[in-house]
Amino acid sequence: MEGCPRNRETCPKLLDLIPQERKWYHDEGKNNTDQEKKLELRLAPPGGDEEDGSVMKKKNTKKEAEDKTIFNLSGNHFSPSNKTNYAPHHISQKRTAPGPVVGWPPVRSFRKNLASSSSSKLGNDQINKSGDGEKQAEPKREGMFVKINMDSVPIGRKVDLSAYGSYEQLSFAVDKLFRGLLAAQRDASGGEGEGKPIIGLLDGKGEFTLTYEDNEGDKMLVGDVPWQMFVSSVKRLRVIKSSEISSALRFGCSKEDKMRN
Amino acid sequence: MNYFPDEVIEHIFDFISSHKDRNSISLVSKSWHKIERCSRKSVFIGNCYAINPERLIQRFPSLRSLTLKGKPHFADFNLVPHEWGGFVHPWIVALAKARVELEELRLKRMVVSDESLELLSRSFASFKSLVLVSCEGFTTDGLASVAANCRHLRELDLQENEIDDHRGQWLNCFPESSTALTSLNFSCLKGETNLAALERLVARSPNLESLKVNRAVPLDALTRLMSCAPQLVDLGVGSYENEPDQESFMKLMAAIKKCTELRSLSGFSEVAPLCLTAFYPICQNLTSLNLSYAAEIQGNHLIRFIQFCKRLQRLWILDSIGDKGLEVVASTCKELQELRVFPSDLHDEEDNDTAVTEIGLVAISAGCPKLHSILYFCKQMTNAALITVAKNCPNFIRFRLCILEPNKPDHTTSQSLDEGFGAIVQACKGLRRLSLSGLLTDKVFLYIGMYAEQLEMLSIAFAGDTDKGMLYVLNGCKKMRKLEIRDSPFGNTALLADVDKYRTMRSLWMSSCEVTLGGCKRLARNAPWLNVEIINENENNDLMMERNEEDEREKVDRLYLYRTVVGARKDAPPCVTIL
Repeated sequence: MEGCPRNRETCPKLLDLIPQERKWYHDEGKNNTDQEKKLELRLAPPGGDEEDGSVMKKKNTKKEAEDKTIFNLSGNHFSPSNKTNYAPHHISQKRTAPGPVVGWPPVRSFRKNLASSSSSKLGNDQINKSGDGEKQAEPKREGMFVKINMDSVPIGRKVDLSAYGSYEQLSFAVDKLFRGLLAAQRDASGGEGEGKPIIGLLDGKGEFTLTYEDNEGDKMLVGDVPWQMFVSSVKRLRVIKSSEISSALRFGCSKEDKMRN
Repeated sequence: MNYFPDEVIEHIFDFISSHKDRNSISLVSKSWHKIERCSRKSVFIGNCYAINPERLIQRFPSLRSLTLKGKPHFADFNLVPHEWGGFVHPWIVALAKARVELEELRLKRMVVSDESLELLSRSFASFKSLVLVSCEGFTTDGLASVAANCRHLRELDLQENEIDDHRGQWLNCFPESSTALTSLNFSCLKGETNLAALERLVARSPNLESLKVNRAVPLDALTRLMSCAPQLVDLGVGSYENEPDQESFMKLMAAIKKCTELRSLSGFSEVAPLCLTAFYPICQNLTSLNLSYAAEIQGNHLIRFIQFCKRLQRLWILDSIGDKGLEVVASTCKELQELRVFPSDLHDEEDNDTAVTEIGLVAISAGCPKLHSILYFCKQMTNAALITVAKNCPNFIRFRLCILEPNKPDHTTSQSLDEGFGAIVQACKGLRRLSLSGLLTDKVFLYIGMYAEQLEMLSIAFAGDTDKGMLYVLNGCKKMRKLEIRDSPFGNTALLADVDKYRTMRSLWMSSCEVTLGGCKRLARNAPWLNVEIINENENNDLMMERNEEDEREKVDRLYLYRTVVGARKDAPPCVTIL
């Protein structure tokens, strides 16, 4: 298999791309480049232009085809029909689905904890604004909104913890919030309506488990402490796959890490 | 010059403080080498494993001030296991044993224990200054020893360390006779603070110029602190969730008005907008402002504050300021030299239309002629914007751009960002540090190799197509010192092409790339002056040895190599193999 077809109409299928050059979109890019040249500084490399570049690229691709097979597989989302789809390009064979990447974005965990600890405050501001705008004499927690995310669901939500009085009620609410979203993510065949109920969040028996991050940045399982204590220390929630409990709790400032230090 | 007696030459050398210059002096001749090394007071060691303490002390017997760096930069992002290394203890032991009259110790990314701090505090009678940045492994007990035993302590500066807060009384441990403090920063402590002890300490430290408290110092305590320290130049405040009442607010403002020397403000891990307004009286004096921990302040409050800060030279802020906010910065802060815009919305996928884009970056470049350092997190970028930025600001020394989504192309043309970054390196002839992001091919590295002649540090993530990319950089950037690469398709060919290049570099980091164990072994064989470390968190040494033969082709998860004059270190944990 030589280079990719330059013809825009014949958009290569994913499988056809093995072991072709990874960035075939460059070819369409070339059409834009001429127009862009007026805006560009002259940055021509010595002894040649972009043509050299692409020729070299093709040669290299052949040589390094066997090394690149795996990340070529992860594909090429820059087909013309998908111009707006900016799915991340996965180079390492370890990652096969879009999702959080270790150590990315490059922000110190010190900052990550601060950012997440403010999320409930954000909810409070929004609620207080809807009032008269005068200063609040009573405590700020009119509603206790915390962010909640779920593995494999890109859209996060917020829950108002002051609306619940027990872990059961919270668990039920999580099911209501995410059942539909999860089904949509998994591309349910459509015949099942809203998808399967999300159960077993608190006992480790379900497919998913509910965890939380407290005000010290520690990640814990939901349900271990009295409800009120939980409400006063929780900063954000996360629904994780039960199979990943041990790694999820280890990652970031878990209590074990702190004790080791 | 050699007709002068040594003392005169030494006196002349005293005027030269830069490490680079002093290193150059020591290469001129044997006599200069000797005079230089015997008179050298301050030594900087960028990699604590490049040399050992014994040799250091032997060469520089008059050592007073030591700076040490441990873990590689990517340790900040959880890419280096906790137990990797960077222990300061052997250094303190050796310095103590040799009776070095140590006065100053600055550590970055090192493991410090309470034992080390205790030994430090007891071994150096004239110890004056301790600065710990991004370190870990110690508790407030260690701080208590330093407070109690270092009679002449002037500076205790703790920046973003992981400290186990035993909620003890370490502040009480400063003796009543301790009045020499000029700088105290404990902003990273997470626990309660003994306010009475703190107030007494500040009250008896008339030379205190820099005070940065932690979140547990409430508003009324802050007011009292500022009232007894109106000479403060640098202030870091705590966390103020709740709006103050009228009386507290007036008192705070009155105290702030008296701090006419205040030039630098930070802290604010939470701050109600009204609290922020109490600082308006001193805004116009500020040269440095760090509001990057205040995750929930909305853009409009930030903007209102910054409008008064006409003399700002350094600004660290969150992207909640928005493009509009950056336009205000651009029109207000004409003295701005350094800008850092951090992401506020790390977990949410919701569309945040108040975050910053290329528009804000261009506005800043157009409005701030003195800008030389930037760290910018954003969700999107274009080549056109980067080209404009390059034209507006040819004076960049540090240019670090982080587009949050890996491999994201120019959002208006869908092209890679090669041309944009290419424009930056071509225009900014003095560029020393560069961090890349977004969709990038080998071409950007061609540009970097061609134009970035002063580049010393380069950070690469999810970029490039082939080994040629890395080769362009290694061949072109003569001044490269630190190269760190993750998730990019560079392999053995690039790694092994010019082994001697690593003599002139401090270190190379490659993770989730294409280098194999075989390649690393070959490098280690050909470059005995390097420590070639393989970090495999999920395996231990024994397992690796067993699979020796057939796994030459196995890709190496994390590779960290660095030049050293003392060979393989002995304190490596099981997950690290030194080839």
